[in-house]
Amino acid sequence: MDDYANIWLHRTKWAYLLLVVATLMSPVFYVMYISFNENGFGAAQYVFTTRWYGLIFADAQLMNALRWTLMLAAMTTVLTIPMALMAAKFYKATRAKVPVVFLMLAPLFVAPDILSAALLVFFKNVNFTFQWLGALAGVSFMDGWFRLSFSTALIGLVIYTIPYAFVVILITMGRYNKEQTEAARACGASGWRAFWDIEFPQIRAGVFSASAFTVILCFNEYTRTSLLKGGFDTFTTVLVSQMLNSGMSEQSYAMSSFVSFVAIALIGGIIVVTLMRSEVAARKAQPVAEPNTAPA
Amino acid sequence: MNANTPAVQVRQLCKNYGSVQALKGVDLSIAAGEYFVLLGPSGGGKTTLLRTIGGFHKPSSGQVWLNGQEVSHLPPDKRPTSMVFQAYALFPHMTVLGNVGYGLSLAKLPKAEVRDKSVAMLEMVGLSGYENRRPHELSGGQQQRVQLARALVLGRNILLLDEPLAALDAQLRKDMCLELKHLQEKVGITFIHVTHNQEEAMTVADRIALIADGELVEQGAARDIYRTPERRFTASFVGENNLLSGTVAAVEGDTVTVQVCGQALAVDRRDLPVRSGETVALSIRSELVEMVPAEGAAPADGRSLAGTYTESVYLGLTLSHRVALADGTEMVARIVGESDTPEPPAGAAVRVQWKPGALRLHVN
Repeated sequence: MDDYANIWLHRTKWAYLLLVVATLMSPVFYVMYISFNENGFGAAQYVFTTRWYGLIFADAQLMNALRWTLMLAAMTTVLTIPMALMAAKFYKATRAKVPVVFLMLAPLFVAPDILSAALLVFFKNVNFTFQWLGALAGVSFMDGWFRLSFSTALIGLVIYTIPYAFVVILITMGRYNKEQTEAARACGASGWRAFWDIEFPQIRAGVFSASAFTVILCFNEYTRTSLLKGGFDTFTTVLVSQMLNSGMSEQSYAMSSFVSFVAIALIGGIIVVTLMRSEVAARKAQPVAEPNTAPA
Repeated sequence: MNANTPAVQVRQLCKNYGSVQALKGVDLSIAAGEYFVLLGPSGGGKTTLLRTIGGFHKPSSGQVWLNGQEVSHLPPDKRPTSMVFQAYALFPHMTVLGNVGYGLSLAKLPKAEVRDKSVAMLEMVGLSGYENRRPHELSGGQQQRVQLARALVLGRNILLLDEPLAALDAQLRKDMCLELKHLQEKVGITFIHVTHNQEEAMTVADRIALIADGELVEQGAARDIYRTPERRFTASFVGENNLLSGTVAAVEGDTVTVQVCGQALAVDRRDLPVRSGETVALSIRSELVEMVPAEGAAPADGRSLAGTYTESVYLGLTLSHRVALADGTEMVARIVGESDTPEPPAGAAVRVQWKPGALRLHVN
């Protein structure tokens, strides 16, 4: 805010921002509120408890779904982050930036349902083709390559998360000066060493943020995983299925809240650490006078 | 490597960016231990040439030889060069000591040796006591010194400097110029320094090459480039030269008579192939031009021009009188030091004159 700005306009902007955040987060807070109610959703009387949180670990279906989701999120992150990082580096190096951005962000422009359905049809056709080729060749080892499974869900999630990870990493890379890489090369570093020693430490925050973001996206994703998952269940598919068939159990509320707590803590932690680091860096960056220009 | 082998040889070097030719068949040879400056206007190709020597650009055609070895195909980390960049090239997440010792660590030297060599090099560049600072805690001049230390500590015999002083203020730039020159004399290796600042170039250079429009326009000792430019472009870029355009009226032996604004000027032919009727350029350094009142006797041997006084510009060390010729061309007569002579009123008729040999002929 500058010295001549209207203080009430400034406060109104902040109030608006808080209102938007409150609107977005209210449903989440409500689920959290219910998750601590002994009597569950819709009960006339609210009795505080943490019992449901203890019970979620006894719910075999939820725990199984959580395990699959964690595996899926971990594998997606392992694949997405290096691919997004390489894409961001390619973007920085190439002159044809617009086509690269368009290609990387293209999956975002297609509605999730359509993209998921397209992938489903694609995998089914590819699977059929491999089965047909296998039958012609008299072999069967290719039959399951593209059957709906963990792998197909993984491919769907990688396609889904790459644009987001690409953008997050690219934003961090924007502040990096490539002359530092050249300086490292001039010092004798190979391309990989220059990246690992000089560039990566400076974009690390972005890479970690993109990783956290990818994990959260995987946890939240329903459409792609439900269409491409094959025989296993993920956390959101179980929750949605429960909700549609028999309504959500108290453990489901607790589990949803638990995941939300973790996600908020993760992102909040990254923001707080980033702010603190900026603050420390700004405090350290005091101008230092040249020795030979100091007043006598 | 033979003692007479040039440190750097560039043969018919071309670099294209699509349809743009950044370098057009440049040939260059730089002796070992020489302080060589690539001078020229922005966008002329001097940085491209330096970066191609350093391995940051691959030549489109032609060759780069360093210490007698053809290195055109090698990346920067495989070449016997180190480099100082314009600015912002220090590693911000490392201390000053970490920056300086980075290259030595890559060479897998023992930690103690890395530290000792880095500390010694920091002492050489005048930064003792700054070992544990981070780059953002240093001023611009100090950061460039760290870059110098980081490059010199590697012990390579060719140092490339890409506009190393461009981001510094004028006074610091002057000081650093001299420091660079003294440092080069001390370490005795080849320095190749890119700049568009002629004062900086004149201060440090043993030899200067003028690069413009992707071509090597002219090269020579700093003094020769300043005093006796061969090409018209050199005269226009180095020093403060007056440039005149005229038509050759006569060629008699070593003297060429050129018509400028209807007045005949005599100039040394310098063995240039010139014919009567040809359009040529003339140059003369402003400090060799004297402005006198028009009523004074004009030199009879074609060493003066009549014009109109327009204004004077006082720059402290020098005073420049500006004179407009009949065709609108402006000439500058520069006096070093103070002048007691009162300036004529604007629009007064004056003459500009010079001594024999001051005027130089340039042909296309």
